[in-house]
Parts: sequence; structure tokens; C-alpha cells
Amino acid sequence: MILNFELSPKELAALALTEGEEVLYAVPYDCDLSGKYVKNAFTVVTNKRLMLLRDAVKEKEYDLSEYDAVKAEPRINCGVLYAVKDGQDFLIVRYSSKHLARYAYVARGVALLKSGSNERAESEENEKTCFVCGRALPGTKECPHCNRKSRGVFFQIVQLLGSYKKQLIPIITLMVTRAIIGLFSPELQKYLVDEILYSGEKKYFAAMLVLVAMFLVGIGIALVDIGKSYGCAKLGSTIGKDLRSKLYNKIQILSLSYIHEKRPGALMNRIMHDTNRIRMFMEHVFCNMFTVVIMFVAVVIYMLVLNWKLALISFIFVPIAAVVSMLWRKNIHRRFRFQGKKSDDVHSALQDVISGMNVVKGYGKEQEESDKFNMFSDVFANVQKRNEVFWAMFFPLLNFLMGAGVYLVIFYGGRSVLGETMTAGEVMQFVSYTSMLYMYLGWINNLPRQLMDLVTSMERINDIMTQEPKIKNTEKACKPEITGAIEFKNATFGYHSYEPVVEGINLTVKPGEMIGLVGASGAGKSTLINLIMHLYDVDDGELIVDGENIKDIDLDYYHSKIGVVLQETFLFSGTIFNNIRYAKPDATEEEVIMAAKMANAHDFITRMPDGYNTYVGEKGSRLSGGERQRIAIARAILNNPKILILDEATASLDTESEYLIQTALERLTSGKTTFAIAHRLSTLKNADRLVVIDKHRIAEMGSHDELMERKGIYYGLVTAQLEMQAKKETAGA
Amino acid sequence: MRDHFEEEFSLEQMEQETEAMLRLRYLTPETATFARTEGGFVSLTVEGEVYSRVQVVRMFPFSEPGKYISIRTAEETSKEIGVIESMETFPEEVRAMLSEQIALRYFTPIITKIYQIKDQYGFAYFDVETDRGHCRFVIRMGGNAVVHLSDTRIIISDIDENRFEIPDVSKLTIKEQKKLDLFL
Repeated sequence: MILNFELSPKELAALALTEGEEVLYAVPYDCDLSGKYVKNAFTVVTNKRLMLLRDAVKEKEYDLSEYDAVKAEPRINCGVLYAVKDGQDFLIVRYSSKHLARYAYVARGVALLKSGSNERAESEENEKTCFVCGRALPGTKECPHCNRKSRGVFFQIVQLLGSYKKQLIPIITLMVTRAIIGLFSPELQKYLVDEILYSGEKKYFAAMLVLVAMFLVGIGIALVDIGKSYGCAKLGSTIGKDLRSKLYNKIQILSLSYIHEKRPGALMNRIMHDTNRIRMFMEHVFCNMFTVVIMFVAVVIYMLVLNWKLALISFIFVPIAAVVSMLWRKNIHRRFRFQGKKSDDVHSALQDVISGMNVVKGYGKEQEESDKFNMFSDVFANVQKRNEVFWAMFFPLLNFLMGAGVYLVIFYGGRSVLGETMTAGEVMQFVSYTSMLYMYLGWINNLPRQLMDLVTSMERINDIMTQEPKIKNTEKACKPEITGAIEFKNATFGYHSYEPVVEGINLTVKPGEMIGLVGASGAGKSTLINLIMHLYDVDDGELIVDGENIKDIDLDYYHSKIGVVLQETFLFSGTIFNNIRYAKPDATEEEVIMAAKMANAHDFITRMPDGYNTYVGEKGSRLSGGERQRIAIARAILNNPKILILDEATASLDTESEYLIQTALERLTSGKTTFAIAHRLSTLKNADRLVVIDKHRIAEMGSHDELMERKGIYYGLVTAQLEMQAKKETAGA
Repeated sequence: MRDHFEEEFSLEQMEQETEAMLRLRYLTPETATFARTEGGFVSLTVEGEVYSRVQVVRMFPFSEPGKYISIRTAEETSKEIGVIESMETFPEEVRAMLSEQIALRYFTPIITKIYQIKDQYGFAYFDVETDRGHCRFVIRMGGNAVVHLSDTRIIISDIDENRFEIPDVSKLTIKEQKKLDLFL
């Protein structure tokens, strides 16, 4: 996302920058305070001032040193930027949703500036529309339309195909062969008519020979077509498969921050949908592309050579037919999309009612719902009827129009035959070529759209392939002995650079220590854990593990030393055995059993009919929450990690399984550096130290007793929970 | 910091808050005094409580824009201070300053004229005139970009999450309606 738009010299002049002043951020605003649209308007932040420019005239000016803060407040489909001075808020500028995120970054930028930091707010987010052509971007960084590299995309497609030379060469050979045979077959017709039928002699044998030749050509065409389709289908699915696995691998390497920036469906779409589109292109378009283009061009040249006057006459309808077919396709596309929309309506109405049937019945609303459904259904039926009638009426007409050139050829050709300037065979040949021409016309018409689709999909795939993972092994990646000594040095991190989630964290953890993380939801506990797991890099400050900066520790090695038990346990579909072995695929049965015993999971597993071979279902849906949790603990134990992370590991469990898990966890945590998050504070009673996080910072730190004595936040939390519990008990009694 | 947590966790406080939440306090010209702030916002004094800046929020932005206005504290996790049942009950001057704040909060341009709608590769490009001036915007096709509030009233959301309203589709010219056809 652009945070520093280029200003014209006139606009820069209007700013009247002083010595040492530099424009840090310049972002547009698109409406005034009353909500009218404005153009050519910018909010400019320098290292000294904040200014509003409109039509290269300075409208407002704020000396940043006079204000305490600048804040961006999202409103409904718009937002405002205001400055704070002595607790009073001063409205600066307003903007539509289009610039909402931009201003959040600017506000963060001003905050950085005021804190004296040299850092600048930067945004990794993609723009939504292309500034050059105004088109919406399909979720990519570069615009597939006007990006100069878009020729590069074509180049990449050629390159991609290039690596399949072995399969490509026979396909292209077949395509060319198919074009030649296609062009040759009318020649046979001409020969049959002129040399045999019209020769005046009874050449039965020769006629039979030509017929056999025509038959063979027909078979030849069919065979070549089959071979071509087979080759293309194979090539298409190979390319699809290769791209899919390349993409998948890439996404897995990419840091979580990239994955979180995308909409959840977007990545799945790219792996499945975009690669599929490329496969479809190969199978349906590429397969015929060369044949059709070669034949189209060859037919035109050949016709001109044979009889240029007649050729020109038959071309008369080409532009008309091209326009008509384009309009037709547009119209049909619109109509059927409309129909699809109405069909969706019926679909969702149905889904609504069926999934909410108990509510409908409970409130006795059957009649109303049925009326509503009938209405949607009626509308859909009407649209469908209209479309089918339209199709039935106009499609034959279109076919007639598309073929109208042939009638002209027959008319003028017939006259030439009568005038004996042409033979009947030549006219027949011409008619064949003309119908070929019109047949391929529609196809060629469609080609640009299909190519654009391909380029868009390619661009989307490239967008991922060219991404560099932010977290990767550095050159000096090392594998130090991990004992579990962890040190945060003034660490700051945020998922978006405009809102830090943890700030200025200083914490030293000794090997084997158990740290309880306490704080309201959203305070930054889980974020700290993500940093320890090295899923993200700190933005500022350092994270030191056993004397090494975490960035310099080999990723795979480091992760093999960490065990994780989360609130929402994720089991993969497969057996219990395989799930426990996930972190250490070569673990023996005995090791797995020992781990399960430590996790209090052995008994329930053995009681199941299939024991350790029990299939857990997708995401472990066949097991209860407590059972899943214990399997996750067994998984964590098996690896014998040095650093253990428990994120609400015992929340949402009933008391009995909580007890079982609690004892399992106690076994698990002994001697390992442990970070535990728990909402229920009693589960943290074994922690050596508690760290209270509030408003993105460490607010209190110490043992349970120390913190209770201090009567701070922790004390408040504990007493509140105790009171709540007491209240529940009295209510229960 | 301490206060923040106690606010959130002290039981007594929670009970009080629950009760406060259940209470519907109507603001009337007699009890509530609104005033413009120097910074372009509005302040409120009610029953001895002073708020240096308040938010003015519609409860029924589509069906009753001028009624049931919630006056809320300024912070992100805002709390309701009181409710104005109808703007009509307040004198002209107060109405004007509240309306200003409402206008500053909501941004849903009303489409008055459609010049062109072009659909291309899964997006539709609108070129329209609105009550706030000329505007071009882009919507995603085939999603929930167009929502019907009634048979003739629609809300269109663009890819930037801006919203546009057409209060009565049937009042557009036939030509404009035809352009819009695909989305209705």
C-alpha cells in the first residue's frame, strides 16, 4: 500500500518546506468534512508538520510538536483523522473507506515520529485497484493488465511450457498436421467433382479411390484429434499438478504473516482454482489454438490465391459475423449469469429454511416461509423460461447470420460456373473454406478473453511464487544446544505495522522455569507465544534463545525443540498412533505408549475398539475435547521438547478431564522451560513466575505470593475469580 | 492500569454495569446540554456528568435515521450515555450540531444518476453521479455486493467497503435500470 504518493512540483512548492524538513507520508483524502467528494487533495506529513493540500493550495497546517498525538478513527464507511492536545480532540480531515488503512498507517507513522524513532510506518498490504488503468486488482501486487511485466507473464507462460518440451513437440506436430489435413480435404472434393464426376467419362474406379482417400482423411483427422486431445489433457494436468505442488510448497515456506494477510479462501483458491484454470486452458484452448490460427490464416491466403474476387465477397460478412457473435456472447453471458444469480437465491432460501427448520416450526411460520420460497422459485422459473425461449429463437438466427457468407459464395460462384469462369469443384472447395472460416471466427473471437484469464491466473500464481519468506534460515543459521533460556530485549511486534500488539517487552527466563502469562484477551499473550515459536520476527528489539538471536537459529532444528498444546487442538485425519507420532515420525510403539501414559491418554485409547489404530476423523471430530487434548499432550511429550507452550490447554474441558490433563501437564512441564496461558488462574498455581500483560506491555511480574501481596492487577483478577466462584457455589446450593 | 482491570473484573462493578446496561436513559432538551467543541466535535453535560466529546450513533440507520439516536462515549469500546428518542424534540440549533456529527459518522453516498456500468473479468465498474459528487467505484461480481433493503431500495458495497445507496430503483430512467439489471 502506497503511503507516500508523489506530489507535483506545484504541490511541493505549496508546502513551503523548511530547511531539513522532509515529506514522510503523503496520502490522498477523497471527501471534505461535509462529505462531498474532493479530488487532488492530500494529507502530507513531514518530520515537522502535518498539512492538508487541495488543488496545490495549503488548506490547513499543524505543527506536530504542539500536539500530543494524531489518531485515525474508523467511522461508518469512512474515517476521520484528529489531533489530540491537552485531552481535547481536533478534527483534521475525513476520508472514505478507500483510504481507511492508509490513514491508520499514517497515524502510526506520526506516533513513531513523536517517539523519536527513525522507523517509518510501512505497509505490506496490496492496493485494491491499479492506479494506472483503474481496474480492480485480482488480489495481486502488480496489475496483470498494464504492468510492464505483463509481457513478462506471457514470457513466463512460454517458459513454463518450455520445460515440458518433450510433451509439447508431439502436440505441436499434431496440431500442424491437423491444420494441413484440414486444409487439404476440400482439395480432394474439388478433384472428385472436376476431374471425375464432370469429366464426362465413367471413371468408377477412380471415383472409388477418391472416396476411399476421403474416408481415410476423415479417419486421419479423427485420429490426429484424439492424439492431440490426449496429449493436451495429459500436459494440462501435469502442468496443473506441478504448479499446485510448487504453490503449496511455497505457501508452506512463507511466513505466517503473509498467510494471515490474505483472506482465508484466497490461498486455497490460488492453489486449486488458478492452477485448474491453467489446466483448462491447456486442455481446451491451447489444444486447438495453433490448429485454428494456422488454418484461419492459411484459409484466408489460400482463398485469395484461388480467386481473390470471390474471396473478398465471402469476407464481407466476416466483420458483421464477428460483431454479431460478440454481442451474442455478451448477451447470453449476461442472461445466464442473471439466471445463475436467481438460482443462487432459491438455493440460499432453501438452505436458510432447512437449516433453521426448528425455528420455523417453533414459531409456526411454515406458511410464510413457504410463500417466500415460492416467490424466489417463481422468479427463477420465469427467468429460466425467458432465457430458454430467447436461446431457442435466436440461436438458429445467429447460425444463419454466421453462415450467410456461404450463400454469397454460392451465388457468385454459381454464376461463375454458369459463365464458365470457374468449375463446380472449385466452387465447392470455396464453400468448404468459407464455412471453415466462419466456424473458426467465433473461436478466435473468444481467444483474447481466454488469454486474459490465463494471464490473470498466472499473475496470481506468480504473486505467491515471487514472495520471499520473511522468516527463513540466515546464512549463519546455527544449531546451538537448546536448554530453554529465553530473553526478550525491548521487543516490539505488531501484525500490522500500524498497531503494535506487544511493546517494549523485557523478560529473562531461566532454563526449566515455568512462566504463567496473565492478562485480558487481546492484551498480547498469544502474540508473545507466537514470537517464542518464531512464527513471526520481532519488529524492534531482540529475542535471544540460549545466547543466540532467534533469527540465527536453524528453523527446523529450533521447532523440533518446541512442544505446543493449544486450546483448539488440531489433529490431522488419520489414526491416533500417527497423530502422536506427528512430531517424530520414527518413534517406536513403545515410545508412543509411554508418551500416551504420561499424558493420561493410554487408558482411554486402549479402551477403544481399534486401540491406537483408531481413526480420529477429520480434525479429530470423533474424539471428545478432553481426549483430543490428551493426545496433543502425548504428541508434545514424545518429542521431548526443551521449550513447552501451553495456550489455554485446559480451557473448555469438564472438571474430570481437566484433572487428568492437569496431572499430565505437571509431568510434562517438569524440567522444561514452559510458557502457559490460562484464563482460569488456579491452573497457573505451579508457575515459578507470573507475567501480567496489560495494554501491550508487561505490567507486573513475580510469583503468585509476591503479586498477591502487591495488590495490583493480578490481585484484582484473583479476587474477582474467587468471588465469582463463591457466587456460583451459593447459587448452586 | 489498575483501574482498567478492576473495571473489568470487579464483581460489584459488573453488577452495576449490568444494571446500567438495562437502563434506557432518554435525553431531553431539559436534561441534556450539547455544545460544539473547539476541535469540531460535540460535548455533552447530562445530570451533572460531563463528556468532553460524544459519539452520535443511529440505531436504525436505514429505517429510522432521525429517531433513536444513541449518544455514546468517545472511546473505541464506547458506552451508551443516553438515547434521544427523536431529534424533533430538540431545538433547531442542537439538531444542527447533532446532524453535523451524524453526517461526519456515516458516509453512504446516494446514487442519483448512472452514467455507465462496465463488467469485466469478475468486477463491475460504476461511473455514477451521487449527492456528494461524481464518483467511480468498483464492485466484485457474484458476491453480496448488492443488498436489497426492500424491493426497490438497494445498497451497493464496493471493493474498498464503501457503500452506496439507491433509495428507489424505479425512479431511475429505463436506460439506467437496464444497466443495473444484472445486479437486481
